Amino acid sequence: MLTIGEEFLGYFKGKGSELMRDRQYEIFALTLRYWYVFLIGYIFFQCLKSTLHGKRNKEFKRQGGGNVAFVIVLLIFSALGLLSIRETTTIDLDIVVLAVLAATIFLFQYILLRFVFKGLDCFLLLIVDVLFVMGLIMLQRLSPSQAMSQVQWFGMGCIALVASMIVTTLVKGGRRFLYLLMVIGIFLLILPLAFGDIIGGAKNWVSISLFGKEVGFQPSEFVKLILVFVFAIEFSQERTFKERLPVFIFTALCMLILVLSRDLGGALLFFGLFLFIYPIATSDILLTAGAAGAGTAAAILSYYLFSHVKVRVEAWKNPWANIEDRGYQIAHALIAIGSGGFVGAGLGLGIPYIIPASKTDLIFAAICEEMGILVGLMIIGFYAIIAIRGAIIAMNTENRLDALLAMGATVSLSLQSFVIIGGVIKLIPLTGVTMPFVSYGGSSMVVSFAMIGIIEGVAVKTYRASLDDEAEDVKEENAEYEGEDE
Amino acid sequence: MDKYKNNIKISLTILIIMFFLLAGYMGYALFFYGDRWFSSPYNTRVRMSGAQPQIIAGDILDRKNTVLATTKNGNYTDPKTGEAKQGYYREYNSKCRYASHVVGFHNEYGRAGAEAFHIKYLMGYNNNIFERIYQKAFLSQERGNDIMLTIDIQLQQYISELLGNRKGSVVLLNPKTGEILAMVSKPSFDPNNVSNVDGDTLIDRSIQGLYPPGSILKVVTAASALEHIEDIDSWTYNCTGSLDIDGKKISCYDGKAHEEVDLASAMIYSCNGAFAQLGNQIGWKELLETGKKFGFNKNFLFSDIMVYDSSLNIDKTTSKEELGWTAIGQAETLVTPFHMAMVAAAVANDGVIMEPKLLYSVVGRNGRAQKSVEPKVFSEAMTKESARVIKEMMVRVVSEGTGRSANVGGVSIGGKTGTAEVKSTKESQTLPHAWFIGFAPTEDPTLAIAVVVENSGTGGRVAAPIAGKVLRRAHELGY
Repeated sequence: MLTIGEEFLGYFKGKGSELMRDRQYEIFALTLRYWYVFLIGYIFFQCLKSTLHGKRNKEFKRQGGGNVAFVIVLLIFSALGLLSIRETTTIDLDIVVLAVLAATIFLFQYILLRFVFKGLDCFLLLIVDVLFVMGLIMLQRLSPSQAMSQVQWFGMGCIALVASMIVTTLVKGGRRFLYLLMVIGIFLLILPLAFGDIIGGAKNWVSISLFGKEVGFQPSEFVKLILVFVFAIEFSQERTFKERLPVFIFTALCMLILVLSRDLGGALLFFGLFLFIYPIATSDILLTAGAAGAGTAAAILSYYLFSHVKVRVEAWKNPWANIEDRGYQIAHALIAIGSGGFVGAGLGLGIPYIIPASKTDLIFAAICEEMGILVGLMIIGFYAIIAIRGAIIAMNTENRLDALLAMGATVSLSLQSFVIIGGVIKLIPLTGVTMPFVSYGGSSMVVSFAMIGIIEGVAVKTYRASLDDEAEDVKEENAEYEGEDE
Repeated sequence: MDKYKNNIKISLTILIIMFFLLAGYMGYALFFYGDRWFSSPYNTRVRMSGAQPQIIAGDILDRKNTVLATTKNGNYTDPKTGEAKQGYYREYNSKCRYASHVVGFHNEYGRAGAEAFHIKYLMGYNNNIFERIYQKAFLSQERGNDIMLTIDIQLQQYISELLGNRKGSVVLLNPKTGEILAMVSKPSFDPNNVSNVDGDTLIDRSIQGLYPPGSILKVVTAASALEHIEDIDSWTYNCTGSLDIDGKKISCYDGKAHEEVDLASAMIYSCNGAFAQLGNQIGWKELLETGKKFGFNKNFLFSDIMVYDSSLNIDKTTSKEELGWTAIGQAETLVTPFHMAMVAAAVANDGVIMEPKLLYSVVGRNGRAQKSVEPKVFSEAMTKESARVIKEMMVRVVSEGTGRSANVGGVSIGGKTGTAEVKSTKESQTLPHAWFIGFAPTEDPTLAIAVVVENSGTGGRVAAPIAGKVLRRAHELGY
């Protein structure tokens, strides 16, 4: 006991005060990781409960978000608060400001939208916000300067969310814009081929000068939005195969351009979106199966034709065989996931920064390392809940166009999350797509929130339509009543 | 027209299945491979480095408490750059060169052996939250746990000296518990000085060396015959020195004719023709089935040691000739010495293979044991009756057959010799690999062994005496 006491006192005498601070932080981080798992778990089960409950009742209209918003704010402050005492002996005010900013934008977005748009699906919004918060915590830990810009992108995302909600509530038919949308889509895709930068092996970035600042963006992300609208507009109406040909050609062209610019993940997502939306609208199994067959054949062909496809597949088959080179990304992602354990190493105690692309594509591995496998599994669960709620919103509406819009956005988000998480855990070959709401990146953030905007827009539209119906019912009843009265 | 709502339901179901697949695969992969990913030498998270590492690694002991590896603080030379450094480093017992592959090393070059595979315990990652917080709060230097291995360094030394400069490997197991008593791979190195070790020396031949098994595979073929051919007791074969299958010849060693043999005498004199014939009589499916029970074509996911997978390459396209070659252990069959020791253990332990154990116990701070060895069944390779019959045959191999030279006295031995032909190059006529698998004592075996000596001659002449001496020594030491 004496030795323990002496050692303990030694710390307070200033001997190795830095060591003491480090250890204090470590003890905090080790203990608090249970708290984070608890908070995220609480949010998860609240969302799950309401979703399963809502499925029985077939509607979410009048569900409030409960205290989940409060728990999210708690998560922001407790996690970023811990990170704020990591580097210095005093509290790092930058991080506190970041936390306040993130919490403010979140609450502003959530409360204002609930107030303005009646019939909004609160839980959908809360889920994407909690995903963003987890990404933000990890980014703050990995690279503080990027965390700040991520909060800016979050703000931009909220604006995109509102904009796409308004557009969605206004869309009726929209055939007029079909060709315009397709032209814009092709233009956006060709843009990086003409004068783009190569980032991460794919030539899909364009730098533009905005407000005197160089801003890079990924046009293919925005084309996803266009594709959702084009598919919904086209397939919501009965048409012959010949009349639909321009849209088919457009889809094929988009994928071709993406494959040529080496954005395999993007091509896969576009193709998957088509494979889901087309049969939903037309029940045309034959053509879908044909397209799926052609796609598979093209994929196999590209394996033999393009060396970069071959490299990806071989790295997937056995990442350990060529760990210094091809398998590097995936092997390090797996090592990181394996190092975390159930509740993770503790925020700031792992070394997730050695994972390649840990801030963007492989952020899932970084989260699993420091926050744990349980949180990783819950993230998968959150995406599944987004899919369930999106599909139920699509089913609740009586308008085919709205249903396809909501389903398009849902499928797009689900596929994207599946492709990237599956790639990180070696279920499928790793292709470079971002993790929606979590990865660092402006284009991804804005487009993902716009997708949620589409789903929420449909929810609001359905709610308004049902209000109108009720109003009409009341009017009719009143008319009948008046008639009786006379 | 309005089937779309139903279609949405179907799509949602597909999406949900996809997410379940993700979660399920993640759980599965982490459960089976998570620890292996963690202990990968490429995992720089757990490296003990620099003057002020967060945690220092615990000791590695052998089963008799000899300290094999320990962490020291002081001046040392960086093996990679050669410069003098000050800080924590791993120091190995001088006897560690007899167990260099088992213990491995942990330095600036990376990690290997138990130092890599059991890093979770050595660096204290298995400690619970209270222990970790206690160490952080009250100890001046956090320290991982000690691990005690099942190997006996005395035996390791004896075997190493016996093998001398010959390339090869010896694996000695306890068939009842699966404990690894000795595991030697030659050539070996000194873990204290790994700067000049070449890649060939670094290979742990006992678990990573894939060799053609030669005649020792006849044990597996015999087990398959006993379980799949009904009138095997009355089965005979007339050996003329070679067997014609589809016009191709499979001949016995030196073309010797064994004349009329039954299963037992075919085994005792290692008659190739008889076993090639037997292999075709059993059929590829049944042979493969028995092989799988013995652990062929299986992913060995042992919790204590990483063993390369053995392959038995037969399927319905296999020709009769190839099947004949497979049945006598040539063709494309590749095995590790470790796996062959497990086959010997199956015979010794009534047909049951225990999961091999290298970790005797994990000892935490204050000598608290955290984990001790618990015997676990890996596979039931054959019935008790077949095991008894094969055991009798193997005893006779040593008493009157090809393995007579294993009889060195001291302990009664059963075994099987093997002589694995390797492709000769034009420049040099290479000698075959000498194999021997066996067990001792014959009444109630507590030892199972596999010996391979590369390019040295026949199993009976080279490998069998080594096995005999090792078994005698181990028996003397009380195992």
